Amino acid sequence: MVNVGDMLVGYATNEDVRKRGASGGLVTAVLAAALEKGLVENVVVMKHINEFEAVPIITDDVDEVLASTGSLHSVPVNLAKYAMGRKVAMPAKPCDTQAVIEQAKRGMIDLDNTYVVGLNCGGSMHPVTTKKMLVEMYDIDPEDVVGEDIEKGKLIFKTKNGEEKAIAIDELEEAGFGRRESCRYCTLKIPVNADLACGNWGVIGDKAGSATFCQVMNDKGVKLLDNAIEAGRIEVEPASDKAIAIRAKVNDVMVNLGNTLEKEIFPEIPDEERMQYYMEPMADCIDCGACKEVCPVCACGEDSKCTMFHSLVDNYKMSMYHMVRLLHLSDSCIACGQCSDVCPSDIPITLLQSSFAIPSQRKREYTPGMNVDDVPPFFEVILK
Amino acid sequence: MIGNVYQTVCPGCNMGCGLYIREDEEGALAVDFMKSSPANLGKLCRFGMKLAHHYSKATSMVDGKEASVEDAVKAASDKLKGADVTMLGVGNTTNEESLAFSKVADALGTVVNTGMGVYSELPTECHPTVGVGITLDEIESANRIALFVDPYIQYPLLVRRILAAKKIGASVVSVGWKDLHLADENRYIDPDLYESELGLDSESVIIADVHPNTDPGWVKRMLNLALKTQAKILFMKPFVNATGVDLLCKGTGQKGISEIMDGINEGSIKTLVTLNSDPIELMPDSDAAAATLTKLDNLIVISSRDGPVNKMADIVIATEPLYAKAGSFMNVEGLLLNNSGESTTGIDSMSTLSQNLGGEAMDYQNLHNNVLESIVQKYTKPKYKELTCEVLDIGPVEEKGNLIYLYNPFMWFDQSDDNDFVMVNMNMVNKLGLSKGGMIALTSDAGTVNMRYRVEDMPDGLILTAKKLPVATEWTTIVSTEAV
Repeated sequence: MVNVGDMLVGYATNEDVRKRGASGGLVTAVLAAALEKGLVENVVVMKHINEFEAVPIITDDVDEVLASTGSLHSVPVNLAKYAMGRKVAMPAKPCDTQAVIEQAKRGMIDLDNTYVVGLNCGGSMHPVTTKKMLVEMYDIDPEDVVGEDIEKGKLIFKTKNGEEKAIAIDELEEAGFGRRESCRYCTLKIPVNADLACGNWGVIGDKAGSATFCQVMNDKGVKLLDNAIEAGRIEVEPASDKAIAIRAKVNDVMVNLGNTLEKEIFPEIPDEERMQYYMEPMADCIDCGACKEVCPVCACGEDSKCTMFHSLVDNYKMSMYHMVRLLHLSDSCIACGQCSDVCPSDIPITLLQSSFAIPSQRKREYTPGMNVDDVPPFFEVILK
Repeated sequence: MIGNVYQTVCPGCNMGCGLYIREDEEGALAVDFMKSSPANLGKLCRFGMKLAHHYSKATSMVDGKEASVEDAVKAASDKLKGADVTMLGVGNTTNEESLAFSKVADALGTVVNTGMGVYSELPTECHPTVGVGITLDEIESANRIALFVDPYIQYPLLVRRILAAKKIGASVVSVGWKDLHLADENRYIDPDLYESELGLDSESVIIADVHPNTDPGWVKRMLNLALKTQAKILFMKPFVNATGVDLLCKGTGQKGISEIMDGINEGSIKTLVTLNSDPIELMPDSDAAAATLTKLDNLIVISSRDGPVNKMADIVIATEPLYAKAGSFMNVEGLLLNNSGESTTGIDSMSTLSQNLGGEAMDYQNLHNNVLESIVQKYTKPKYKELTCEVLDIGPVEEKGNLIYLYNPFMWFDQSDDNDFVMVNMNMVNKLGLSKGGMIALTSDAGTVNMRYRVEDMPDGLILTAKKLPVATEWTTIVSTEAV
């Protein structure tokens, strides 16, 4: 039996899963056990296509879970919407978890039926930028890459011939590569909002690279781990004080870096330029609606405030659609970067939205997606 | 196919935007972003985001009645034996299906027309440059970009490329129909002044387009501008495989869509076979096109979509949806892109048709190998061909109307959108006394239509539309205007 608050180090008992999975395959094994033992009916997994592409699929096949991919920093997908309307278990970065919780607040996800296995995240990268970076910075053919990792502030790529090459993330980002912009100023690196918070930070000694550090965050986390242990799919042991301290130290470094980069990334906007700051880039909008479609905290559906006041026949330089979205998302935007990723005009929507939302959220001491009981400051109606 | 997910390419234009189509248990479709796609990084335009509405499945029909695909193929074989057949395939399907269609044409002793009549009016040496332009990445490194299209409405995935070029110092001049936000200069000048006024040189890029209704004189003018300034040129195209089908059909008829419709009206074309090409959608005047098609003895449609031409066809041979097909496409920059679908029902039908007509049997793998051999080596891009032709005689300049089509994917497929308005400038609003939120009446020989309007900065007297209108008879039409 494990308990809420436990900090453990564990791994998959199946040798193949342990070898193929990231950091000992504990997450894969926990998800497989949840499905196998009926804790959930489906699991969201990333179906691996290559090192730069994976497709989220929803499966009820344990073998498919076991065959799913390990960590892919260059597949920046938010998985929250794939969990809707299902009794499901899913791997989740901190921002995936934030989105799940925001959707739960809006009645779109039932947290009782959603088991979230959180994964530490130092940031994700755009696949096409990553390929370019491999050629220009690493002198590696992208086709030769078989694995990647982020460790001690360095981005490491492993190639077919067994070689590893590491470059400091700072150096990559100075050259215009590295993590997506929103990941650079993100300060939620350990998914303490998930049911389990897993990752390789704090895995030391002979277990380094072949086990996962796992913090049990709540009763569902207990269920997930106990279930996997009972199924014989994982083995865990208490993490040492040293391991716990190292994990905390890595997190501190990453959070401090995020805070520093936030100051660099967000421009000071003089009061007299505030409207122009938003209007100028948004005048290039082609009204595709992709930013709404991909937004993992949007729960409105097709008939929504931002679309109902907007028409192409209007020719405002910044559409009503964007104005409503700026306001509407000001207390729920988690700065996951998905909207910027998919914008066909490369409008830095996440940056604009964050410029609007972050000060508002901080003023109200509110961080979206951390706890389902935290009421968003601008919730119009609260139904009991 | 990955689980229930297909990796495919957006059929909205020839940009080659990769995406995923997700099919649920009930067959409902959803679009997902394929961020590793080199042409678009997963980004999609307004049409791409609405693709789930685009894939309306076709049903095989014989003489207005639902039929099995086998019966439809047999009926088509019976009608085509010994007939004088015209074939149309604009490039709305895979290279492999297009090649299979060509082999059916071989069996019939005819050729496949791509509907792009402009090619037959250009010297052969210009053909490769019009066919495969510069790479999309090269747009980003241009020092000056001259735009002869409206990227926001017509080819939206160009916007980010042009903005990226601007970020590193490029200047942008638009020579379109209305002011563009991303342009540093919006010019409305005499075409004879382009060379002297647009400031283009060998580091510049010209972006224009060719489509079935393009004025050949205009394409020649663009080529001349590139020749005289040494600027590189990229011709955007409206169909997913327009580049591939052009390369596969090189040296053949290349009859334009208008020429085909004229042939039907004159009675010289009695049998038309189309492959994912709907003349009613392609022609500027849908009603006139539909009326023309009634003059055919035989209209045989091979299609994956349920377009308006299907309802008029004597025979419809339904094929699988585009996203589900095994096969490849070639985008505007010459990049070969593969579908993850594995279905070959369209090819199988055409193979049977070919054999029934005395032609060869076909299978997907052979066709795919042929495609690789005939148009590209796998995953390599044909290089941009510098223009080597002489300056072209533009010929008589067509008189333009004041109502102008801004062709875009919604128009090419007659797909509904929130574009039920025309664009006019403030002078016209004032002159006609148009009221805010009111309507403008447009009248031509084809009748009158009342439209909402949007105000844009654009030349006096012009009316732009991104939607096909019943008063339009060509891509430009003379209309009179009044307030409603």
